[in-house]
Amino acid sequence: MMLKSALPFLAIASSFAISANAKPAPNPPPYAGIYQPQGVDELGMWREDDEGERRLAASPLVIRDEKLTKYLKDVLCSAVGTDRCNSTRIYVVREPTFNATMSPNGTMRVFSGLLLRMRNEAELAAILGHEFGHFESRHSLSKFQATRRGTDMLAWGALLASMTPSYDSRRTYQSLEISVYGSLFRYSRDNEREADLLGLGYLNKSGLRPQAASEVWQNLIGEIEASATSRGLKKPRFDAVAFTASHPPEGERAGYLAALAEPTGADRDDGAVRYREALSGWLPVFLEDQIKLNDFGGSEYIIAKLSESGWTPHLWLARAELYRTRGHQRDLVNAVQFYSNAIALDSNLPDAYRGLGLSLIKTGDQTQGQAALSKYLALKPNADDAKMIALMLPKEPSQ
Amino acid sequence: MTINNYVRVAVLAVASLTLTVSPASAHKLREKGAEIDVADSNVMVTPARNWNRLDVKVGKRTETWTLDGEQLNDVTFFGGIEAGNPLVKEKSKKRDPLPKFTKSTLLIEVPELLEGTYRTYKQIGAFQLTSTEPQKFLGQDGVTFTYEYTDADGLTRKGEAYAAIISGKLYMATFDAPRLHYFARNIEDFRALASSARLQ
Repeated sequence: MMLKSALPFLAIASSFAISANAKPAPNPPPYAGIYQPQGVDELGMWREDDEGERRLAASPLVIRDEKLTKYLKDVLCSAVGTDRCNSTRIYVVREPTFNATMSPNGTMRVFSGLLLRMRNEAELAAILGHEFGHFESRHSLSKFQATRRGTDMLAWGALLASMTPSYDSRRTYQSLEISVYGSLFRYSRDNEREADLLGLGYLNKSGLRPQAASEVWQNLIGEIEASATSRGLKKPRFDAVAFTASHPPEGERAGYLAALAEPTGADRDDGAVRYREALSGWLPVFLEDQIKLNDFGGSEYIIAKLSESGWTPHLWLARAELYRTRGHQRDLVNAVQFYSNAIALDSNLPDAYRGLGLSLIKTGDQTQGQAALSKYLALKPNADDAKMIALMLPKEPSQ
Repeated sequence: MTINNYVRVAVLAVASLTLTVSPASAHKLREKGAEIDVADSNVMVTPARNWNRLDVKVGKRTETWTLDGEQLNDVTFFGGIEAGNPLVKEKSKKRDPLPKFTKSTLLIEVPELLEGTYRTYKQIGAFQLTSTEPQKFLGQDGVTFTYEYTDADGLTRKGEAYAAIISGKLYMATFDAPRLHYFARNIEDFRALASSARLQ
Protein backbone atom coordinates (compact mmCIF):
# COMPACT_ATOMS: atom_id res chain seq x y z
CA MET A 1 0.00 0.00 0.00
CA MET A 2 2.65 2.36 1.04
CA LEU A 3 4.49 1.77 -2.20
CA LYS A 4 1.42 2.63 -4.24
CA SER A 5 0.52 5.75 -2.33
CA ALA A 6 4.05 7.09 -2.60
CA LEU A 7 4.37 6.75 -6.36
CA PRO A 8 2.07 9.63 -7.43
CA PHE A 9 4.33 12.05 -5.59
CA LEU A 10 7.18 11.15 -7.90
CA ALA A 11 4.96 11.48 -10.94
CA ILE A 12 3.85 14.96 -9.85
CA ALA A 13 7.38 16.00 -9.09
CA SER A 14 8.46 15.24 -12.62
CA SER A 15 5.83 16.82 -14.79
CA PHE A 16 7.79 19.93 -15.79
CA ALA A 17 8.41 20.32 -19.50
CA ILE A 18 8.92 23.19 -21.94
CA SER A 19 7.81 22.81 -25.51
CA ALA A 20 9.84 24.18 -28.39
CA ASN A 21 6.83 26.40 -29.28
CA ALA A 22 6.65 27.95 -25.82
CA LYS A 23 5.94 31.64 -25.37
CA PRO A 24 8.78 33.96 -24.29
CA ALA A 25 9.87 33.38 -20.69
CA PRO A 26 7.94 35.55 -18.20
CA ASN A 27 9.65 38.02 -15.92
CA PRO A 28 11.22 36.46 -12.82
CA PRO A 29 9.24 36.75 -9.57
CA PRO A 30 9.96 39.87 -7.48
CA TYR A 31 13.12 39.68 -5.41
CA ALA A 32 12.34 38.48 -1.90
CA GLY A 33 15.40 39.94 -0.20
CA ILE A 34 18.47 38.30 1.30
CA TYR A 35 17.72 34.67 1.98
CA GLN A 36 18.76 32.72 5.06
CA PRO A 37 18.61 28.92 5.27
CA GLN A 38 15.56 27.49 6.98
CA GLY A 39 14.97 24.10 8.54
CA VAL A 40 17.45 21.51 9.61
CA ASP A 41 18.17 20.20 6.09
CA GLU A 42 18.97 23.55 4.63
CA LEU A 43 20.94 24.74 7.65
CA GLY A 44 23.08 21.61 7.42
CA MET A 45 23.61 21.96 3.67
CA TRP A 46 24.68 25.57 3.98
CA ARG A 47 27.04 24.76 6.82
CA GLU A 48 28.72 22.05 4.75
CA ASP A 49 28.78 24.37 1.81
CA ASP A 50 30.39 27.18 3.81
CA GLU A 51 33.16 24.74 4.66
CA GLY A 52 33.49 23.79 0.99
CA GLU A 53 33.68 27.44 0.00
CA ARG A 54 36.47 28.07 2.50
CA ARG A 55 38.45 25.22 0.93
CA LEU A 56 37.69 26.50 -2.57
CA ALA A 57 38.84 30.01 -1.71
CA ALA A 58 42.24 28.60 -0.72
CA SER A 59 42.50 26.19 -3.68
CA PRO A 60 45.43 26.59 -6.07
CA LEU A 61 43.02 25.90 -8.95
CA VAL A 62 41.17 29.20 -8.46
CA ILE A 63 42.28 31.97 -10.80
CA ARG A 64 42.83 34.98 -8.59
CA ASP A 65 42.30 37.85 -10.99
CA GLU A 66 40.26 40.54 -9.33
CA LYS A 67 39.49 42.28 -12.60
CA LEU A 68 38.21 39.13 -14.27
CA THR A 69 36.09 38.09 -11.28
CA LYS A 70 34.62 41.58 -11.04
CA TYR A 71 33.79 41.53 -14.74
CA LEU A 72 31.96 38.21 -14.38
CA LYS A 73 30.09 39.56 -11.39
CA ASP A 74 29.08 42.64 -13.38
CA VAL A 75 27.78 40.45 -16.19
CA LEU A 76 25.78 38.40 -13.70
CA CYS A 77 24.43 41.60 -12.14
CA SER A 78 23.45 43.00 -15.51
CA ALA A 79 21.50 39.80 -16.18
CA VAL A 80 19.76 39.13 -12.87
CA GLY A 81 19.78 42.63 -11.37
CA THR A 82 22.04 44.19 -8.75
CA ASP A 83 19.75 43.37 -5.83
CA ARG A 84 19.86 39.65 -6.57
CA CYS A 85 23.46 39.20 -7.67
CA ASN A 86 24.99 40.36 -4.41
CA SER A 87 24.04 37.12 -2.72
CA THR A 88 26.60 35.18 -4.78
CA ARG A 89 30.40 34.87 -4.90
CA ILE A 90 32.04 33.91 -8.18
CA TYR A 91 35.19 31.76 -8.35
CA VAL A 92 36.92 31.10 -11.67
CA VAL A 93 38.35 27.59 -11.64
CA ARG A 94 41.11 26.64 -14.05
CA GLU A 95 39.68 23.54 -15.64
CA PRO A 96 39.34 23.21 -19.41
CA THR A 97 35.78 21.86 -19.48
CA PHE A 98 32.47 23.45 -20.45
CA ASN A 99 30.88 23.86 -17.04
CA ALA A 100 29.65 26.18 -14.32
CA THR A 101 28.06 25.18 -11.03
CA MET A 102 26.08 26.82 -8.27
CA SER A 103 25.92 25.54 -4.72
CA PRO A 104 23.20 26.16 -2.12
CA ASN A 105 24.93 28.99 -0.21
CA GLY A 106 25.56 31.07 -3.33
CA THR A 107 29.03 29.87 -4.37
CA MET A 108 29.30 30.02 -8.14
CA ARG A 109 32.12 28.12 -9.83
CA VAL A 110 32.86 29.16 -13.39
CA PHE A 111 35.27 26.87 -15.25
CA SER A 112 37.88 28.34 -17.56
CA GLY A 113 36.69 26.03 -20.37
CA LEU A 114 33.33 27.82 -20.29
CA LEU A 115 34.94 31.25 -20.66
CA LEU A 116 36.86 30.01 -23.69
CA ARG A 117 33.67 28.88 -25.42
CA MET A 118 31.54 31.97 -24.79
CA ARG A 119 31.70 34.55 -27.55
CA ASN A 120 29.92 37.46 -25.92
CA GLU A 121 28.42 38.83 -22.73
CA ALA A 122 24.92 37.69 -23.62
CA GLU A 123 26.01 34.04 -23.89
CA LEU A 124 27.88 34.27 -20.60
CA ALA A 125 24.90 35.98 -18.97
CA ALA A 126 22.64 33.16 -20.18
CA ILE A 127 24.80 30.55 -18.41
CA LEU A 128 25.31 32.61 -15.25
CA GLY A 129 21.58 33.42 -15.15
CA HIS A 130 20.75 29.71 -15.47
CA GLU A 131 23.04 28.90 -12.55
CA PHE A 132 21.53 31.73 -10.56
CA GLY A 133 18.11 30.23 -11.31
CA HIS A 134 19.19 27.04 -9.50
CA PHE A 135 20.18 29.17 -6.52
CA GLU A 136 17.00 31.22 -6.43
CA SER A 137 14.79 28.14 -6.72
CA ARG A 138 16.82 26.27 -4.04
CA HIS A 139 17.21 23.28 -6.33
CA SER A 140 20.01 21.68 -4.31
CA LEU A 141 17.71 21.45 -1.31
CA SER A 142 14.71 20.09 -3.18
CA LYS A 143 16.89 17.56 -5.00
CA PHE A 144 18.46 16.42 -1.75
CA GLN A 145 15.02 15.99 -0.20
CA ALA A 146 13.63 14.20 -3.26
CA THR A 147 16.60 11.82 -3.23
CA ARG A 148 16.06 11.14 0.45
CA ARG A 149 12.35 10.49 -0.05
CA GLY A 150 13.09 8.17 -2.96
CA THR A 151 15.76 6.17 -1.20
CA ASP A 152 13.66 6.01 2.00
CA MET A 153 10.91 4.52 -0.04
CA LEU A 154 13.26 1.96 -1.55
CA ALA A 155 14.56 1.01 1.89
CA TRP A 156 11.02 0.38 3.13
CA GLY A 157 10.20 -1.40 -0.11
CA ALA A 158 13.17 -3.73 0.34
CA LEU A 159 12.07 -4.47 3.89
CA LEU A 160 8.48 -5.23 2.88
CA ALA A 161 9.60 -7.31 -0.09
CA SER A 162 11.83 -9.41 2.14
CA MET A 163 8.90 -10.09 4.50
CA THR A 164 7.01 -11.84 1.70
CA PRO A 165 9.77 -13.60 -0.20
CA SER A 166 7.93 -14.48 -3.39
CA TYR A 167 8.80 -14.00 -7.03
CA ASP A 168 6.08 -11.36 -7.37
CA SER A 169 7.20 -9.17 -4.50
CA ARG A 170 10.78 -9.32 -5.71
CA ARG A 171 9.70 -8.30 -9.19
CA THR A 172 7.54 -5.48 -7.80
CA TYR A 173 10.50 -4.22 -5.80
CA GLN A 174 12.73 -4.27 -8.85
CA SER A 175 10.29 -2.25 -10.92
CA LEU A 176 9.88 0.16 -8.01
CA GLU A 177 13.65 0.58 -7.94
CA ILE A 178 13.72 1.43 -11.64
CA SER A 179 10.82 3.92 -11.28
CA VAL A 180 12.41 5.68 -8.32
CA TYR A 181 15.84 6.03 -9.91
CA GLY A 182 14.27 7.05 -13.22
CA SER A 183 12.17 9.68 -11.45
CA LEU A 184 15.18 11.08 -9.64
CA PHE A 185 17.11 11.55 -12.87
CA ARG A 186 14.03 13.08 -14.47
CA TYR A 187 13.66 15.35 -11.47
CA SER A 188 17.20 16.59 -12.05
CA ARG A 189 16.44 17.27 -15.73
CA ASP A 190 13.27 19.13 -14.76
CA ASN A 191 15.27 21.30 -12.37
CA GLU A 192 17.53 22.18 -15.29
CA ARG A 193 14.54 23.10 -17.43
CA GLU A 194 13.14 25.25 -14.65
CA ALA A 195 16.51 27.02 -14.26
CA ASP A 196 16.60 27.54 -18.03
CA LEU A 197 13.15 29.16 -17.87
CA LEU A 198 14.19 31.43 -15.02
CA GLY A 199 17.52 32.23 -16.70
CA LEU A 200 15.70 33.32 -19.84
CA GLY A 201 13.31 35.37 -17.72
CA TYR A 202 16.27 37.35 -16.35
CA LEU A 203 17.82 37.69 -19.79
CA ASN A 204 14.57 38.89 -21.42
CA LYS A 205 14.32 41.59 -18.76
CA SER A 206 17.99 42.62 -19.02
CA GLY A 207 19.57 44.79 -21.70
CA LEU A 208 21.33 41.82 -23.37
CA ARG A 209 20.25 39.80 -26.40
CA PRO A 210 18.30 36.76 -25.08
CA GLN A 211 18.67 34.77 -28.33
CA ALA A 212 22.28 34.12 -27.29
CA ALA A 213 21.13 31.42 -24.83
CA SER A 214 20.10 29.10 -27.62
CA GLU A 215 23.29 29.84 -29.57
CA VAL A 216 25.40 28.52 -26.66
CA TRP A 217 23.85 25.09 -27.13
CA GLN A 218 23.95 25.20 -30.90
CA ASN A 219 27.65 25.91 -30.62
CA LEU A 220 28.19 23.08 -28.17
CA ILE A 221 26.36 20.70 -30.50
CA GLY A 222 28.73 21.79 -33.29
CA GLU A 223 31.74 21.17 -31.10
CA ILE A 224 30.60 17.72 -29.94
CA GLU A 225 29.90 16.75 -33.55
CA ALA A 226 33.29 17.99 -34.72
CA SER A 227 35.03 16.16 -31.91
CA ALA A 228 33.20 12.89 -32.65
CA THR A 229 33.83 13.15 -36.40
CA SER A 230 37.56 13.61 -36.01
CA ARG A 231 37.70 10.58 -33.68
CA GLY A 232 35.77 8.46 -36.17
CA LEU A 233 32.82 8.01 -33.83
CA LYS A 234 29.19 7.73 -34.80
CA LYS A 235 27.32 11.02 -35.03
CA PRO A 236 25.99 11.67 -31.53
CA ARG A 237 22.26 12.21 -31.03
CA PHE A 238 21.17 15.44 -29.43
CA ASP A 239 17.49 14.64 -28.99
CA ALA A 240 17.62 11.34 -27.08
CA VAL A 241 17.29 11.34 -23.30
CA ALA A 242 19.38 8.69 -21.58
CA PHE A 243 17.90 7.06 -18.46
CA THR A 244 20.65 8.49 -16.27
CA ALA A 245 20.94 11.90 -17.98
CA SER A 246 21.15 14.71 -15.41
CA HIS A 247 20.46 17.43 -18.00
CA PRO A 248 18.03 17.66 -20.93
CA PRO A 249 19.64 16.86 -24.30
CA GLU A 250 21.44 19.76 -26.01
CA GLY A 251 19.06 19.73 -29.00
CA GLU A 252 16.01 20.15 -26.79
CA ARG A 253 17.62 23.00 -24.86
CA ALA A 254 18.64 24.83 -28.02
CA GLY A 255 15.04 24.47 -29.26
CA TYR A 256 13.11 25.70 -26.24
CA LEU A 257 15.64 28.40 -25.32
CA ALA A 258 15.13 29.94 -28.76
CA ALA A 259 11.34 29.90 -28.16
CA LEU A 260 11.68 31.41 -24.68
CA ALA A 261 13.75 34.37 -25.92
CA GLU A 262 11.83 37.63 -26.29
CA PRO A 263 11.66 38.26 -30.08
CA THR A 264 11.87 42.02 -29.64
CA GLY A 265 15.22 41.57 -27.87
CA ALA A 266 16.94 40.27 -31.02
CA ASP A 267 18.36 43.70 -31.85
CA ARG A 268 19.89 44.27 -28.44
CA ASP A 269 23.61 44.47 -27.88
CA ASP A 270 25.36 41.22 -27.04
CA GLY A 271 28.55 42.79 -25.68
CA ALA A 272 30.95 40.82 -27.87
CA VAL A 273 33.57 43.57 -27.94
CA ARG A 274 33.45 44.11 -24.18
CA TYR A 275 33.74 40.35 -23.61
CA ARG A 276 36.77 39.96 -25.86
CA GLU A 277 38.44 42.91 -24.21
CA ALA A 278 37.85 41.63 -20.68
CA LEU A 279 39.12 38.16 -21.55
CA SER A 280 42.00 39.26 -23.80
CA GLY A 281 44.70 38.42 -21.25
CA TRP A 282 43.28 35.00 -20.46
CA LEU A 283 42.09 33.70 -23.82
CA PRO A 284 45.58 32.62 -25.00
CA VAL A 285 46.03 30.71 -21.72
CA PHE A 286 42.64 29.00 -21.91
CA LEU A 287 43.22 28.25 -25.57
CA GLU A 288 46.53 26.57 -24.75
CA ASP A 289 44.78 24.49 -22.07
CA GLN A 290 42.24 23.39 -24.68
CA ILE A 291 44.60 22.44 -27.51
CA LYS A 292 46.67 20.26 -25.21
CA LEU A 293 43.65 18.05 -24.44
CA ASN A 294 44.22 15.87 -27.50
CA ASP A 295 40.75 16.71 -28.86
CA PHE A 296 41.62 17.75 -32.41
CA GLY A 297 38.09 18.16 -33.78
CA GLY A 298 36.73 20.02 -30.77
CA SER A 299 39.72 22.37 -30.54
CA GLU A 300 39.65 23.08 -34.27
CA TYR A 301 35.95 23.97 -33.98
CA ILE A 302 36.55 26.32 -31.05
CA ILE A 303 39.39 28.06 -32.89
CA ALA A 304 37.22 28.43 -36.01
CA LYS A 305 34.41 29.96 -33.94
CA LEU A 306 36.78 32.38 -32.20
CA SER A 307 38.29 33.39 -35.52
CA GLU A 308 34.90 34.59 -36.77
CA SER A 309 35.66 37.90 -35.13
CA GLY A 310 39.08 38.07 -36.78
CA TRP A 311 42.31 36.06 -36.64
CA THR A 312 44.77 37.06 -33.95
CA PRO A 313 48.40 35.92 -33.68
CA HIS A 314 47.44 33.76 -30.69
CA LEU A 315 44.68 32.03 -32.62
CA TRP A 316 47.08 31.16 -35.45
CA LEU A 317 49.66 30.02 -32.91
CA ALA A 318 47.12 27.80 -31.13
CA ARG A 319 45.99 26.28 -34.43
CA ALA A 320 49.59 25.67 -35.46
CA GLU A 321 50.42 23.98 -32.14
CA LEU A 322 47.30 21.84 -32.47
CA TYR A 323 48.45 20.58 -35.88
CA ARG A 324 52.10 20.14 -34.86
CA THR A 325 51.23 18.10 -31.79
CA ARG A 326 48.97 15.78 -33.82
CA GLY A 327 52.06 15.40 -35.93
CA HIS A 328 51.10 13.70 -39.23
CA GLN A 329 53.35 14.85 -42.06
CA ARG A 330 50.42 16.69 -43.66
CA ASP A 331 49.72 18.39 -40.31
CA LEU A 332 53.29 19.65 -40.12
CA VAL A 333 52.99 21.32 -43.50
CA ASN A 334 49.81 23.07 -42.34
CA ALA A 335 51.45 23.96 -39.03
CA VAL A 336 54.32 25.69 -40.86
CA GLN A 337 51.76 27.79 -42.70
CA PHE A 338 49.87 28.69 -39.51
CA TYR A 339 53.05 29.59 -37.60
CA SER A 340 54.03 31.84 -40.49
CA ASN A 341 50.60 33.49 -40.35
CA ALA A 342 51.07 34.13 -36.64
CA ILE A 343 54.53 35.61 -37.22
CA ALA A 344 53.18 37.79 -40.03
CA LEU A 345 50.76 39.36 -37.54
CA ASP A 346 53.24 39.57 -34.66
CA SER A 347 56.94 39.05 -35.30
CA ASN A 348 57.77 38.89 -31.59
CA LEU A 349 56.09 35.60 -30.71
CA PRO A 350 58.93 33.34 -29.54
CA ASP A 351 56.76 30.22 -29.33
CA ALA A 352 55.74 30.61 -32.96
CA TYR A 353 59.41 30.50 -34.02
CA ARG A 354 60.00 27.46 -31.82
CA GLY A 355 57.09 25.53 -33.33
CA LEU A 356 57.98 26.69 -36.82
CA GLY A 357 61.56 25.51 -36.37
CA LEU A 358 60.56 22.09 -35.04
CA SER A 359 57.96 21.58 -37.78
CA LEU A 360 60.41 22.58 -40.52
CA ILE A 361 63.07 20.21 -39.16
CA LYS A 362 60.57 17.37 -39.08
CA THR A 363 59.54 18.02 -42.67
CA GLY A 364 63.18 17.88 -43.72
CA ASP A 365 63.92 21.57 -44.01
CA GLN A 366 66.89 21.61 -41.63
CA THR A 367 68.42 24.96 -42.58
CA GLN A 368 65.28 27.07 -42.33
CA GLY A 369 64.22 25.17 -39.23
CA GLN A 370 67.47 25.99 -37.50
CA ALA A 371 67.13 29.62 -38.53
CA ALA A 372 63.70 29.76 -36.88
CA LEU A 373 65.05 28.11 -33.72
CA SER A 374 67.89 30.66 -33.51
CA LYS A 375 65.31 33.40 -33.79
CA TYR A 376 63.41 31.74 -30.91
CA LEU A 377 66.54 31.78 -28.75
CA ALA A 378 67.27 35.38 -29.72
CA LEU A 379 63.76 36.43 -28.64
CA LYS A 380 63.72 34.29 -25.50
CA PRO A 381 67.32 33.62 -24.40
CA ASN A 382 66.20 32.39 -20.97
CA ALA A 383 63.62 29.93 -22.30
CA ASP A 384 63.08 26.80 -20.18
CA ASP A 385 64.34 24.61 -22.99
CA ALA A 386 67.08 26.94 -24.31
CA LYS A 387 69.86 24.38 -23.77
CA MET A 388 67.97 21.62 -25.60
CA ILE A 389 67.17 23.93 -28.50
CA ALA A 390 70.80 25.07 -28.64
CA LEU A 391 71.81 21.43 -29.20
CA MET A 392 69.71 21.37 -32.36
CA LEU A 393 71.51 24.34 -33.89
CA PRO A 394 74.63 23.94 -36.03
CA LYS A 395 77.81 24.10 -33.94
CA GLU A 396 79.49 27.48 -34.27
CA PRO A 397 82.95 27.14 -35.81
CA SER A 398 85.59 27.32 -33.07
CA GLN A 399 87.86 30.35 -33.22
CA MET B 1 50.99 -42.08 11.91
CA THR B 2 50.44 -44.16 8.80
CA ILE B 3 51.68 -43.18 5.38
CA ASN B 4 48.14 -42.40 4.46
CA ASN B 5 47.97 -39.90 7.30
CA TYR B 6 51.26 -38.32 6.21
CA VAL B 7 49.84 -37.81 2.77
CA ARG B 8 46.70 -36.32 4.25
CA VAL B 9 48.70 -33.89 6.41
CA ALA B 10 50.90 -32.95 3.46
CA VAL B 11 47.86 -32.29 1.30
CA LEU B 12 46.34 -30.14 4.03
CA ALA B 13 49.62 -28.23 4.48
CA VAL B 14 49.86 -27.52 0.77
CA ALA B 15 46.23 -26.47 0.69
CA SER B 16 46.66 -24.08 3.60
CA LEU B 17 49.84 -22.68 2.03
CA THR B 18 48.09 -21.90 -1.21
CA LEU B 19 45.45 -20.07 0.79
CA THR B 20 47.87 -17.98 2.83
CA VAL B 21 50.64 -17.27 0.31
CA SER B 22 50.12 -13.86 -1.24
CA PRO B 23 49.42 -13.81 -4.95
CA ALA B 24 52.35 -13.29 -7.30
CA SER B 25 51.08 -9.85 -8.28
CA ALA B 26 51.20 -8.24 -4.82
CA HIS B 27 53.37 -5.26 -3.89
CA LYS B 28 57.02 -6.22 -3.59
CA LEU B 29 59.99 -4.91 -1.66
CA ARG B 30 62.91 -3.78 -3.81
CA GLU B 31 65.93 -4.12 -1.62
CA LYS B 32 68.86 -1.77 -1.35
CA GLY B 33 71.81 -2.75 -3.51
CA ALA B 34 70.07 -5.56 -5.41
CA GLU B 35 70.00 -4.92 -9.16
CA ILE B 36 66.65 -5.67 -10.74
CA ASP B 37 64.90 -5.26 -14.08
CA VAL B 38 61.93 -2.90 -14.29
CA ALA B 39 58.85 -2.47 -16.48
CA ASP B 40 59.14 -5.85 -18.24
CA SER B 41 62.10 -4.49 -20.11
CA ASN B 42 65.86 -4.64 -20.36
CA VAL B 43 66.25 -1.63 -18.05
CA MET B 44 68.12 -2.58 -14.86
CA VAL B 45 68.22 -0.38 -11.77
CA THR B 46 70.09 -0.70 -8.48
CA PRO B 47 68.18 1.02 -5.67
CA ALA B 48 70.32 2.87 -3.12
CA ARG B 49 67.65 2.36 -0.48
CA ASN B 50 64.66 0.10 -0.03
CA TRP B 51 61.70 0.89 -2.30
CA ASN B 52 58.27 -0.65 -2.79
CA ARG B 53 57.20 -1.86 -6.19
CA LEU B 54 53.46 -1.32 -6.43
CA ASP B 55 51.07 -3.76 -7.94
CA VAL B 56 49.57 -1.10 -10.18
CA LYS B 57 50.42 -0.74 -13.80
CA VAL B 58 49.54 2.53 -15.48
CA GLY B 59 50.26 1.07 -18.89
CA LYS B 60 52.08 -1.50 -20.95
CA ARG B 61 55.80 -1.58 -20.17
CA THR B 62 55.51 0.58 -17.08
CA GLU B 63 56.24 -0.03 -13.44
CA THR B 64 55.49 2.09 -10.38
CA TRP B 65 57.66 2.37 -7.28
CA THR B 66 57.00 4.34 -4.13
CA LEU B 67 58.19 4.97 -0.59
CA ASP B 68 55.05 6.13 1.20
CA GLY B 69 52.32 5.48 -1.37
CA GLU B 70 51.80 6.72 -4.90
CA GLN B 71 50.00 9.87 -3.77
CA LEU B 72 53.09 11.00 -1.86
CA ASN B 73 55.98 9.79 -3.99
CA ASP B 74 55.50 8.03 -7.27
CA VAL B 75 58.33 6.78 -9.45
CA THR B 76 57.17 5.44 -12.79
CA PHE B 77 59.49 3.65 -15.21
CA PHE B 78 58.61 3.50 -18.89
CA GLY B 79 60.66 0.67 -20.34
CA GLY B 80 60.68 1.19 -24.08
CA ILE B 81 57.38 2.61 -25.30
CA GLU B 82 57.10 1.69 -28.98
CA ALA B 83 56.06 4.10 -31.71
CA GLY B 84 52.29 4.42 -32.05
CA ASN B 85 51.58 3.82 -28.37
CA PRO B 86 50.46 6.18 -25.63
CA LEU B 87 52.51 6.47 -22.42
CA VAL B 88 49.77 5.06 -20.20
CA LYS B 89 46.71 2.94 -20.83
CA GLU B 90 43.85 4.89 -22.38
CA LYS B 91 40.53 4.98 -20.55
CA SER B 92 38.84 4.52 -23.91
CA LYS B 93 40.81 4.12 -27.13
CA LYS B 94 38.00 5.59 -29.20
CA ARG B 95 36.44 8.21 -26.93
CA ASP B 96 39.37 9.46 -24.86
CA PRO B 97 42.50 8.81 -26.90
CA LEU B 98 45.82 9.96 -25.46
CA PRO B 99 48.70 11.51 -27.37
CA LYS B 100 50.97 8.88 -28.89
CA PHE B 101 54.73 8.50 -29.02
CA THR B 102 55.58 8.37 -32.73
CA LYS B 103 58.60 7.59 -34.88
CA SER B 104 59.03 11.27 -35.61
CA THR B 105 58.81 12.43 -31.96
CA LEU B 106 61.93 14.42 -31.18
CA LEU B 107 63.67 14.25 -27.82
CA ILE B 108 62.67 17.86 -27.16
CA GLU B 109 59.02 16.92 -27.71
CA VAL B 110 59.04 14.25 -24.98
CA PRO B 111 58.21 16.82 -22.24
CA GLU B 112 55.25 17.99 -24.38
CA LEU B 113 54.15 14.37 -24.78
CA LEU B 114 54.11 13.89 -21.02
CA GLU B 115 52.34 17.22 -20.56
CA GLY B 116 49.66 16.30 -23.12
CA THR B 117 49.21 12.90 -21.49
CA TYR B 118 48.74 14.37 -18.00
CA ARG B 119 46.42 17.12 -19.18
CA THR B 120 44.26 14.79 -21.27
CA TYR B 121 44.14 11.94 -18.77
CA LYS B 122 43.36 14.14 -15.77
CA GLN B 123 41.40 16.82 -17.71
CA ILE B 124 43.38 19.59 -16.03
CA GLY B 125 44.57 23.00 -17.11
CA ALA B 126 47.05 23.76 -14.35
CA PHE B 127 50.20 22.10 -15.72
CA GLN B 128 53.48 23.88 -16.26
CA LEU B 129 56.77 22.63 -17.68
CA THR B 130 59.40 24.41 -15.64
CA SER B 131 62.69 23.34 -17.24
CA THR B 132 64.04 21.13 -20.01
CA GLU B 133 67.73 20.33 -20.28
CA PRO B 134 70.02 17.86 -22.01
CA GLN B 135 71.06 15.00 -19.76
CA LYS B 136 72.51 11.51 -20.24
CA PHE B 137 70.07 8.72 -19.41
CA LEU B 138 70.82 4.99 -19.73
CA GLY B 139 74.21 6.02 -21.05
CA GLN B 140 72.70 7.83 -24.04
CA ASP B 141 71.96 11.44 -24.93
CA GLY B 142 68.68 12.20 -23.24
CA VAL B 143 66.63 14.91 -21.66
CA THR B 144 65.66 15.83 -18.13
CA PHE B 145 62.71 18.05 -17.40
CA THR B 146 60.72 19.32 -14.45
CA TYR B 147 57.06 20.20 -14.15
CA GLU B 148 54.38 21.24 -11.72
CA TYR B 149 50.66 20.54 -11.80
CA THR B 150 47.51 20.60 -9.71
CA ASP B 151 44.87 17.99 -10.32
CA ALA B 152 41.39 17.35 -8.99
CA ASP B 153 42.51 16.73 -5.39
CA GLY B 154 43.69 20.35 -5.23
CA LEU B 155 47.21 19.38 -4.18
CA THR B 156 50.05 20.89 -6.18
CA ARG B 157 52.66 18.31 -7.18
CA LYS B 158 56.11 18.69 -8.63
CA GLY B 159 57.70 16.28 -11.01
CA GLU B 160 61.07 15.46 -12.51
CA ALA B 161 61.79 13.11 -15.37
CA TYR B 162 64.68 11.58 -17.32
CA ALA B 163 64.12 10.30 -20.82
CA ALA B 164 65.96 8.97 -23.81
CA ILE B 165 64.92 7.60 -27.19
CA ILE B 166 66.91 4.46 -27.99
CA SER B 167 66.40 2.50 -31.25
CA GLY B 168 63.03 4.18 -31.77
CA LYS B 169 61.71 3.37 -28.30
CA LEU B 170 61.07 5.78 -25.46
CA TYR B 171 62.69 5.07 -22.10
CA MET B 172 61.75 7.32 -19.22
CA ALA B 173 61.67 7.54 -15.44
CA THR B 174 59.42 10.09 -13.72
CA PHE B 175 59.07 11.21 -10.13
CA ASP B 176 55.91 12.96 -8.89
CA ALA B 177 55.41 14.16 -5.32
CA PRO B 178 53.52 16.94 -3.50
CA ARG B 179 55.36 20.24 -3.72
CA LEU B 180 54.98 20.59 0.04
CA HIS B 181 57.66 18.57 1.84
CA TYR B 182 57.61 15.28 -0.09
CA PHE B 183 59.23 16.38 -3.35
CA ALA B 184 62.28 17.90 -1.68
CA ARG B 185 62.53 15.03 0.81
CA ASN B 186 62.89 12.28 -1.79
CA ILE B 187 64.13 13.87 -4.99
CA GLU B 188 67.71 12.80 -4.28
CA ASP B 189 66.56 9.19 -3.77
CA PHE B 190 64.91 9.33 -7.18
CA ARG B 191 67.95 10.88 -8.84
CA ALA B 192 70.13 8.12 -7.38
CA LEU B 193 67.70 5.54 -8.71
CA ALA B 194 67.50 7.10 -12.16
CA SER B 195 71.27 7.43 -12.46
CA SER B 196 71.70 3.76 -11.52
CA ALA B 197 69.58 2.73 -14.51
CA ARG B 198 71.33 0.89 -17.34
CA LEU B 199 70.33 -1.17 -20.33
CA GLN B 200 71.00 -4.86 -20.04
